[in-house]
Order: sequence, then structure tokens, then C-alpha cells
Amino acid sequence: MENVPRDRMDDAELMLRVRGQDDEAAFALLVSRHQKSLLNFFARSGVQYDSEDLVQQTFLRLYRYRQRYVATAKFTTFLFLLARQVWIDELRRRQRRERLIERLVVEPHEEFTAPADPSAGVAGDLDLARALAALPEGLRQVVELAVYQELPYAEVAAILGIPVGTVKSRMFNALAKLRALLGEERGDTP
Amino acid sequence: MNLHTHLSELPDAEAAAFRTLVARLHTLPLREPSPLLASRILASVASERARNPKPETRNQKPETRNPPPWRWAAAALAAGLLVAATLFNRPDAPAAAADDPAAWLAACQEADGSWQPARHGGDPAYRPALTALAALALARDPAARFNAGVRRACNALAALQTPDGAFGGEGRVHAYNQALATYALATLAPQGASPAAALERAVACSRAAQSAEGGWDYEPDSAGNTAVTAWQVRALAAAAAQGVAQANVPLRKGLRWLRSAARDEGGVSYHPGAPGRSESLSALAAHTLMTSGKHFDGLPALGRRLAASLKAASDGADCYRDYARVMAFESAGETARAEAVRADMRLRRRTGEPDPWEPVGGALYTCAFTALAARQ
Repeated sequence: MENVPRDRMDDAELMLRVRGQDDEAAFALLVSRHQKSLLNFFARSGVQYDSEDLVQQTFLRLYRYRQRYVATAKFTTFLFLLARQVWIDELRRRQRRERLIERLVVEPHEEFTAPADPSAGVAGDLDLARALAALPEGLRQVVELAVYQELPYAEVAAILGIPVGTVKSRMFNALAKLRALLGEERGDTP
Repeated sequence: MNLHTHLSELPDAEAAAFRTLVARLHTLPLREPSPLLASRILASVASERARNPKPETRNQKPETRNPPPWRWAAAALAAGLLVAATLFNRPDAPAAAADDPAAWLAACQEADGSWQPARHGGDPAYRPALTALAALALARDPAARFNAGVRRACNALAALQTPDGAFGGEGRVHAYNQALATYALATLAPQGASPAAALERAVACSRAAQSAEGGWDYEPDSAGNTAVTAWQVRALAAAAAQGVAQANVPLRKGLRWLRSAARDEGGVSYHPGAPGRSESLSALAAHTLMTSGKHFDGLPALGRRLAASLKAASDGADCYRDYARVMAFESAGETARAEAVRADMRLRRRTGEPDPWEPVGGALYTCAFTALAARQ
């Protein structure tokens, strides 16, 4: 393996080098390969402004927990497990902050109001993005991992801590709910 | 099993409908990481390595505890509201801004004199920083068309300031708001646009945030990062030039920190000693050393060496990097190289090429830097 250039190593090989030799270049390659997918993972979770901070926290946690990585585990399973924990911690932090703000009775801030013409300059599929955001979190996470990250159901199950059968049912329910939210006719509906 | 095999188990009509939906899901636009993200991550890991060389081994499995369902519901609602807010605040496409970005910025100024990033695709938390950049851009207009707008912007910055001299936000947001707003107040003071008391308070706040080593950062236990330190040094140099005496000592310390951040082989990184060389920050440091450090022995020469190490060609759109390169080349007297970068910037604005900084500052950010880099 020593003769293989790092950029030709797969993620698991790089992670083993990080774990065993604290290989900085291997870690930098992992950052380079996965920063964009993690950024969009958090952005699609509804994090608008702090997504990059959460990506940074995830990689920092990856480094801290590097000894927990075992060669039999898929790297993406390990990485997104950590990302999900970072997201859960972020949700808790937000809830604490919201409670604090409620106590301080802060007046609403002008910049958080919507502009007068909400349709102006909107790019992309607005209805779809809204529908995705409106999914229950348990369903949205399955869509995120299986559709956007293209992970096998077994990996999704490992990350979310649920059986593969539950992944299947959640995926079916998520797609059906998205269709309903988008106003699409079901094929079996007259 | 994966999604594909799952769908193949379904009745044909349902599978086809779901495949169409999945294809549509893939059309949602992806965000690009900002150019400095990787170096920030590696710097934070380097800090972690230095602080705690022994890895975490307490538990064999990372802890996860699912919050109760009502928490998920609240989180989903919050996520929905955030995404809706994002989508309702996408930037207008400022096609006309390519030819006259300052005029476009002037047209976007709010009644209170500030600029609202949220209306143009940026982060609302950076309202002071974006107001500062936009005001600086208007002030560079050679025909002085926007002097009234500049004065209103400075008053808005003073109104956004808290009694301790800060401009709001936490962490990174606080650091950039503070540095850019202070820089604008100091730079615009000669035009009679900045309230003197606001500038004094801003400098006092910056001074209090300086590390013992002379740098500034938003991460705990850091001696400083090059980006925030360069902007703070520029702000303090402008303040010192306006006779703000308390700026002199932190300015010298900041310049010393910047000098130590420069590498022998040319260039700087986000944190001194971190892997990777940042083109944007090398350019920003070069310009800062040549201008803010012009009265100090050796610093202008060091800045010129950094400028000489900058690349001839740019790799894709990056308004921040291009602005810094223009300023560095101009400071070094390399006007032809500066003009080449300007031409690239104008072309990118005209063609509407996406800029990696748009999620942070929106169209205000790209237009402000395009105007700031314009030839006078």
C-alpha cells in the first residue's frame, strides 16, 4: 500500500492512514473529497448560514474519533454518522438559544422578514425545495442519505440506527408524501 | 439494496413516478464550499493536534440519543422556515451591475442607510460588514455621485454599533463585521462621513479583541488568522491616519503578526503553519503590508515579494480573491496585471458566472468587490 499514491487510495485506506499514522495529507484528501457532500447535507437540512461551520465540526469530530474507525466499516457510514450527530447537537443548541431569546423578549429583527415580492429572483425548483423541507425529519434524512448521498440502504440503516426494512418503508412514505405535497396525481387515483 | 433496486420492486407505474421524482430531486442546485473551507478545516485539526496529541478513545461508539418526537417536529418546522427564508431571499440577477456596480449598489440602499444582505441572497448576520463594503464601493465613485449615500451608510453603521463598539454577531460573523465596519468608518472619515465617536469605540473594541501575539481570530485559543488580521490591520492603519491614537500600538503588533505569517517561499495560509497556501490571503496580506505597513522598514518589500508570488491566471470566479489581487498588483505598481484581473471580473459579472461567496454575501458582496477593484 505504501507504493500507491494517496490520491489513488480509497477512503477507507486514507482513513486507516489517518488512524494509524496521523497522516495529514490523507486527511486533507478526505476533506477535499467529502466537504461538498457534507455541505449540501447540512444545507438541505435547513442550515442556511452555518453549514460550513457544521462541516468543519464534522471533520474535527472525524479526527477526534479516528481511533474508532474500523477497517470493516464503510467510511461514508462513519462520516455521516458523525455528521448526523453534529446536526442533532446543532438542533439542541438552537432550541436552547430560542428558549433564551424567548426569555429575553427580543424584538423581531427587521432583516429576518421576507421581501415584499417573494417571487422576485427565485431560482431553482421552489416547490420541490419547500416540499423536501416540509417532510418529517425521519423521512427527510432517508431521502438525504439514499437519494442525495446515494448510500445503500444497509448504510442508511446503520447511520440512522434503524432496520433496513424501516429504511424501505420510510423511503416509500417520503416519496409518496413528496408527490402529495407537490400535487402530483397518484398513478392509481382516478 | 439501494434506491434503484427498491424502486424496481414496486409496480411499474408507481416506480416510474418515483423515478421521475428522484430525477427532479437531483435537479435542486448544489452549494459549493467556499474556497477557504478546506484550509479552515485543516487549520482547526492542526490546532486540535497541537492541543491534544492523544486521540479520543473513551467510548467505542459515538453517542447518539434521539430527541423526543416533539423536538423533531420543532426542528422540521424550523428547517422548513429556514429553507423558505432562503428561497424567498434569492438574489436578483444584477445584469446591469456588471457595467456600473456602484450604481446598482446605490439603488439597493435601504431607507436607514444600510444594505440588507438577505434581500440579495446573503447572510443577514453580515449586515454591518456588507454595509461597510457597499459604502466603501460608493465612495470610490470617481464622479462622487453617491456622497449622500456614503454619509447615510456611515450613520447606519454607527446606529448598528453597540455601546462597547462592536457591530453584532458571534464568532466569525462578529470578527468580520468588526473589522470591515471599523475599516469603513476609518477610511470614510476624511470625507466627513463617519461619526468620530463611533470610530473611537470601534477601535477600542478591536484593540480589546487582539491576541497577545498581535493577531485576531474568532476561534478560541488562536493567535490569529490571516484574513481577519489583515482586515483589522487595514482598519487600524486607516484609523491611525485619522489621528486615532489608540490605534497605533495594536497596528504595530498586527503588522508584526502579519510579517511572521509570511513564508520564505512566498505566500501565506489561513493560519500560520497550516498546510496549503491561500492565493486570496497572500494577495490581501501583500496589499496590507505595502499600504498599512508603508511606514515600517521592510514591510513594503515583503509585500512586493508576496505580490510577485501571486498566480498570473485565476481558477474560476472568486470576487474576494480577485479584489485582493487587484489591490496587491496596484500597490506593487503592476498595473497591467491588475487590469487583466479587472477584465476577468467584469466578464464574470456580465456572464453571471456563479461566485463561491454568494451564499455568504449575495450579490451585494460580488458587486461591492467589483466596484472596489474598479480603476479610478
